[in-house]
Amino acid sequence: MADYTYTILIPLIPLFVFLFLGLTGHKIKPFITGLIGTTGLGISAILSYATAYKYFIGAHVTGTGYTSIKGFEVAWLHLTEKLTIHLGVLIDPISVMMLVVITTVSLMVHIYSIGYMKGDPGFYRFFSFLSLFSFSMLGLVLATNIFQMYIFWELVGVSSFLLIGYYYEKPSAVAASKKAFIVTRFADLGFLIGILMLSFNTGTFDFQTLTDPHGPAIASAGGAAFMGMSVLSWSLVFIFVGGAGKSAMFPFHIWLPDAMEGPTPVSALIHAATMVVAGVYLVARLFPVYALAAPDALTVVAWVGGFSSIFAAVIACTQTDIKRVLAFSTMSQIGYMMLSLGVSGYGGEEGLGFMASNFHLFTHAMFKALLFLGAGAVIHAVHTNEITGMGNLRKYLPITHITFLIACLTIAGIPPFSAFFSKDEILVAAFHHNKFLFAVEYIVAGLTAFYMFRLYYGIFWGKKTHYHHTPHESPLVMTIPLMILAFGSVFAGFLPFHNLVTSDGLGFESHIDWMIAIPSVLIGVLGIVIATVMYKNESPLPDKVAGTFKNLYKWAHHKFYMDEVYLFVTRKIIYRYISTPIAWFDRHVIDATMNGIAGIIQFASYAIKGFQSGRLQQYAFVFVSGTVILVLIFVYLV
Amino acid sequence: MNILNLFVIIPMLTVGGILLTKDLKQSRIVSAIGMGLQLILSFVLVYLYMSERSAGNTAPMLFMYDALWFPSLNIHYALGVDGISVAMIALTGIVVFAGIFASWKMEYLPREFFVSLILLASGVFGFFISIDLFTMFLFYEIAVIPMYLLIGIWGTGPKEYSAMKLTLMLMAGSAMLMVGILGIYFFSVPAGHPLTFNILEISKMHIPIDMQRFLFPFTFVGFGILGALFPFHTWSPDGHASAPTAVSMLHAGVLMKLGGYGIFRVAIFLMPEAAHEQAWIFLILTSISVVYGAFSAIVQTDLKYINAYSSVSHCGLVLFAVLMMNQTAMNGAIIQMISHGLMTALFFALIGMIYGRTHTRLINEMGGLMKVIPFLGVVYVIAGLASLGLPGFSGFVAEMTIFVGSFQHVDVFHRVITIVAASSIVITAVYILRVVGILLLGPIKNDHFLHLDDAKWYERISTITLVLAITAIGTAPFWLSNMINFSLAPIVERLNAIQITGLF
Amino acid sequence: MNFSDILTMRHELMLTLMALVVLIIDLNLHNRDKHLIIPITLSLFFIHTVIGFLPSQPSNLFGGMYHTNALLVMMKNILNVGVLIILLQSVTWLKKEENREKISEYFILLFSTLIGMNFMISSGDFLMFYLGLELATIPIAALAAYTHHQSKSAEAGIKLILSSALSSGILLFGISLIYGSSGSIYFDAVVLHYANTPLQVLAFIFFFTGMAFKLSLVPFHLWTADVYEGAPINVTSYLSVISKGAAAFILIILMFTIFKTIAPIYTHMLYLIAVLTMTIGNLFAIRQKNMKRFLAFSSIAQAGFILLGILGGNAMGMTSVIYFVLVYIFSNLGAFGVVSAISTVTGKESMDDYDGLYATNPKLSLLMMLSLFSLAGIPPVAGFFGKFFLFASAASAGYYWLVFIAVLNATISLYYYLLVVKAMFINKNEKPLAYFKSDLATRTGLVLSGLGIFVLGFWSQIYEIINSLSFGIIH
Repeated sequence: MADYTYTILIPLIPLFVFLFLGLTGHKIKPFITGLIGTTGLGISAILSYATAYKYFIGAHVTGTGYTSIKGFEVAWLHLTEKLTIHLGVLIDPISVMMLVVITTVSLMVHIYSIGYMKGDPGFYRFFSFLSLFSFSMLGLVLATNIFQMYIFWELVGVSSFLLIGYYYEKPSAVAASKKAFIVTRFADLGFLIGILMLSFNTGTFDFQTLTDPHGPAIASAGGAAFMGMSVLSWSLVFIFVGGAGKSAMFPFHIWLPDAMEGPTPVSALIHAATMVVAGVYLVARLFPVYALAAPDALTVVAWVGGFSSIFAAVIACTQTDIKRVLAFSTMSQIGYMMLSLGVSGYGGEEGLGFMASNFHLFTHAMFKALLFLGAGAVIHAVHTNEITGMGNLRKYLPITHITFLIACLTIAGIPPFSAFFSKDEILVAAFHHNKFLFAVEYIVAGLTAFYMFRLYYGIFWGKKTHYHHTPHESPLVMTIPLMILAFGSVFAGFLPFHNLVTSDGLGFESHIDWMIAIPSVLIGVLGIVIATVMYKNESPLPDKVAGTFKNLYKWAHHKFYMDEVYLFVTRKIIYRYISTPIAWFDRHVIDATMNGIAGIIQFASYAIKGFQSGRLQQYAFVFVSGTVILVLIFVYLV
Repeated sequence: MNILNLFVIIPMLTVGGILLTKDLKQSRIVSAIGMGLQLILSFVLVYLYMSERSAGNTAPMLFMYDALWFPSLNIHYALGVDGISVAMIALTGIVVFAGIFASWKMEYLPREFFVSLILLASGVFGFFISIDLFTMFLFYEIAVIPMYLLIGIWGTGPKEYSAMKLTLMLMAGSAMLMVGILGIYFFSVPAGHPLTFNILEISKMHIPIDMQRFLFPFTFVGFGILGALFPFHTWSPDGHASAPTAVSMLHAGVLMKLGGYGIFRVAIFLMPEAAHEQAWIFLILTSISVVYGAFSAIVQTDLKYINAYSSVSHCGLVLFAVLMMNQTAMNGAIIQMISHGLMTALFFALIGMIYGRTHTRLINEMGGLMKVIPFLGVVYVIAGLASLGLPGFSGFVAEMTIFVGSFQHVDVFHRVITIVAASSIVITAVYILRVVGILLLGPIKNDHFLHLDDAKWYERISTITLVLAITAIGTAPFWLSNMINFSLAPIVERLNAIQITGLF
Repeated sequence: MNFSDILTMRHELMLTLMALVVLIIDLNLHNRDKHLIIPITLSLFFIHTVIGFLPSQPSNLFGGMYHTNALLVMMKNILNVGVLIILLQSVTWLKKEENREKISEYFILLFSTLIGMNFMISSGDFLMFYLGLELATIPIAALAAYTHHQSKSAEAGIKLILSSALSSGILLFGISLIYGSSGSIYFDAVVLHYANTPLQVLAFIFFFTGMAFKLSLVPFHLWTADVYEGAPINVTSYLSVISKGAAAFILIILMFTIFKTIAPIYTHMLYLIAVLTMTIGNLFAIRQKNMKRFLAFSSIAQAGFILLGILGGNAMGMTSVIYFVLVYIFSNLGAFGVVSAISTVTGKESMDDYDGLYATNPKLSLLMMLSLFSLAGIPPVAGFFGKFFLFASAASAGYYWLVFIAVLNATISLYYYLLVVKAMFINKNEKPLAYFKSDLATRTGLVLSGLGIFVLGFWSQIYEIINSLSFGIIH
């Protein structure tokens, strides 16, 4: 077995970069800090590629398929006799794949940001945060045990918090970052409870032990049942809650649109390609347990994923802020991945959904990052997020235009672009498992194509908008990443994922199922055509359509009022009906009681002052009566 | 010369030195030197302790020192430390040191201030090193009483009221404690043998169960009041709000830990059966204070009140974990004590420094401070993240150890209540981010704050010391946790030896 | 009985001698140098105190009317030390013009009361006891009325003499009943014939009320406040410390010897009275603004604590009582010393006059604070140890709830003690009492009490000595 100890460097290098920039950045020239950050990440990227090569191609495939290898592990904290938190590096197909995804996108974003963030006062801060995020994300995917994953899960959350709130003088950004952190934190509570239950039942944190098909976790499936589900299933559901939070699944999705307050490269990196798929990765990581021991938990995953995908797709059709459109599309695509995990079985052909999900994760990272960076370039050029303020930009921003178009075609699932393959696999998996969700996904495919091209036309075609200073194409440092990613999203589809990333590590034969692929392509094309008719040139159609589906449009436009619901819960329920009363109770009941005791004593001391009249005869009276009372008590009673 | 004696002698010498000084400049130098020595000494102690252990010394207490004091009552001046007290001593050393620098500009009656502060500190040190109940109680009260002067003279706001309230409530606590201690003294030893206050000897004895049932609540609540046990916590918000910076630091950082430590070392360790029987009552109380404190913190507008209530929540977690009475949870409790001590000290230090600049503690009147005082701002954010349990800082280690440990109970009650307590991590996040958002981020509300100057060198010393400690524990917890575990093992054994289980 | 036996009465003898000497000197001194009496008497009394500590052997004189032993001698010595401090503290006040020609009276009266107390402590039968008691009481009435030009002082004297007459009456009735029921007035004989028949219980109660009056236990305390307030401050401190201490000493001895047979009954009674005394005393003290009244009521509450030691019923209990009285003497004299120093120089006696005292008279304020902390039982000062041992002895007899009540009362008392601390250290005051420097004697007195407050606690030797002499009902 090959030695992977060096892989520990992949997360560590960004960590050092973060510390270095964080402590000394303000003394260094901005450009240099950018360079340092990028170089650090570049090294990690190269290491990751090397690892991927070594693991997938270099190391010959043993009969048992791709085994999972602990490249490195140290004990970090002993909790109980059985439970110890380790920090380490776990090398297996999905983690290696994630390494590639994260480092690639992150590197692209780093390069891109050097141009995009030019002249920003907090340049070094931005890059140190990026490094912090990369470190956390890499640590997350390399986790050898679920608790290490939780640790980095939290760190990812906080770096996302820092980056969303990067423009901390903008109240909206501050609010968004707060919202993102608290919502995910709430979901993380579920994750934590899940971990507690899981570790309590299985006596281990370690992934290899947990996911071992013949290990204790799987064996404990027949444990005590609670409300019709086994305790194990419950713990997995709780863990999935954590995943849903990070991956912006319904109903935890509300933080994602607001998260677009962050700088666009951040949205590309964190809220499109890497962090938001952490939930998918989490489920994939524990997949054997889900598939073999807790099918009902897996069903939950499937339905949540399916619902989120269509829910988000519908909303995406009505949004006018291009970044928000992309945000909802992200949510919808992740819904795809969840669904595909949910409808997957374990092993061989059964594990198609698992493979497809990771496949789609991979391709999605490419084209969605591309879309965001493209959108960034557009915003960079016209200084607005609103689609209404754009139009007819194709001649100003040629490169952006082409790459953006490619990305749109990809996400619309048009062959031979990568998403076509991955999406097809998902549909196949869904078809074999759950016809209803399969149908839903067809619709979603159509919607996706529609809203993406609505966006595309809105930006690059449409009305002849007059710009008071003519937009110009971004510098090379920004466009080169676009091209690279475009290349990725075109050709990623040809990777033989079914041989590389599978549920049980064994490759299997898979081929395009044209019976399913062709209709889905047609639906995609249909969506594009409708979009073209409605948005290529200015036309009254959109408003008409909006008029006909008045209520649906209104609800979708307001994101089905989910934000309002949340505001109600937080502001009204928690703040006004829980916290305020409790604080009041503390001051006016408990504290008052304490003061009340003092008050009583004071009162008593006033009440008895009559005794001290200063009149001697009264003293004598008290004296004698005291004596008499004592006599009465102790001579006659006792 | 036993090293532990130095922990009492050095403060005394420092006090003497301060009395000789003339003005602020001299007195603060003297106290800084004295407490610096104390800090070094506590690290030396940690080192010596570690090396003793690694040398294979498995005695429950090390560096024992025993001087017969009142022979006829068999009262000893008995000292000794195990991993837990060593850890607490290190904590105290750090916080006191930071506290001295936080009060570098104490203009009004500086000598008296530093004297009382260090008297308080010496009381705390004495409490942690003594293994004789009488000595322990003596130091306990020595630690409590200077509080009155410190808050009353150098405090702000309704200081007389708060000082009096705090002192009286804590003294009422020690009233209950007195009963508990005397009861233990008279009932621990079988007839014929000489009575003893020595914890180690008592732990070998067995207190009659019905006596335990009577004494345990006294002892628990007696210490619990200092540990901000619901509903006896109300001295804490007012007290902290009125206290001067360094005093809040010491009080929330160290003094409140006397409660948890005492409960652990006296109430539960010496009366295990009663502890097992009555744990559920106090578990409910403590879990209430965990959630309750966090919720009340959400709506506060005064920085110190926010932190005071969060202390109620965090210290509640300490007592909660101690009551879980298994190795892991108790270990977590100790770590939480230390972690919270450092964090809350850092918070109060920062609040003091911010107040010294803006002259207000109401968050609504401030905003966007990150722009003008980046250093303090960043440190505040760090403190906040630490307090909401972010990995890499001590809070996370403590909380996770507690939750995992508490969840190891087989019965449902303990696990459900653990989840209840765990939910506090969300609420904590809410109020921490609320403060950070309003106080530091966003646009600058008040033009007067445009030209505030950032932290001075002494303020940096004070804060950086604490931040370093927090991150050190957060990134490399195994040192601490192993040290504590070793000393916990025999105690937990004693607890598990009892087969009585409580109501649940 | 020979001469050497007589010498075992050295305390009483020397005091009598001193009283005479002072009288003679006073007669032969010219009016303008009467103040010379002060140094002479002080030095004489100092010698007397020192001699008191010389080893002595137990003896039994006048057919058992008078007996003495190490324990009793120690008690007398404790009182002597207290008196010495009081004398030192009263020098400034005596030197005042208005007291010029009454200096000797002060000493003579004081000494005679002290003689009374010594006899009371050493008494072997009720006759001697009663003589001592009266001799200890009546001159104090005269002392209370010492500054008779002040109506309050005169009133105090009258009140004291009248109410003490009442109590003595009841006490005497009790004694006669004891005699009637047991056929003897000799303690040793009485104890043999003392069972708890209703008559004897009645007798005991009557006797006890008389002692309760001296100890000013509730509800027999009402005279205290007025007398304490009216009397000259040093007389007040004498009343609150010395006569109370003497009463406590003799009470615990009698409780542990003669009345031990009815212990099962008197424990209930003491329990009740202890609770009443501590609580009521505190409740009254809370509101007091006049420092003398304030200390008077606080001393009532303190007397309640003494009962806890008696309830202990064992040697530990007696030790704790004696030790507590000793500590209490020093603490209370510390407080009274400061009050008297201030009132003699400035004439101010109200708590409000103490506002911001620390700014001008830091040393006095510190001593005051320490004394008050000691009274409240706060470590590291001696009061903590005194209280702790009292509570311990009560707990040893199983009175846990009583201990709890007592400690809560200690907390309440801490409240009003802190009020004074607050006045001195915290309260702001435009024109606090001006700085003044009291004369050597006063300062020595203050320093002595201050030292006592500190040393007594940590110096366990003292406790051990007392313990070695104490005895209890339960052996």
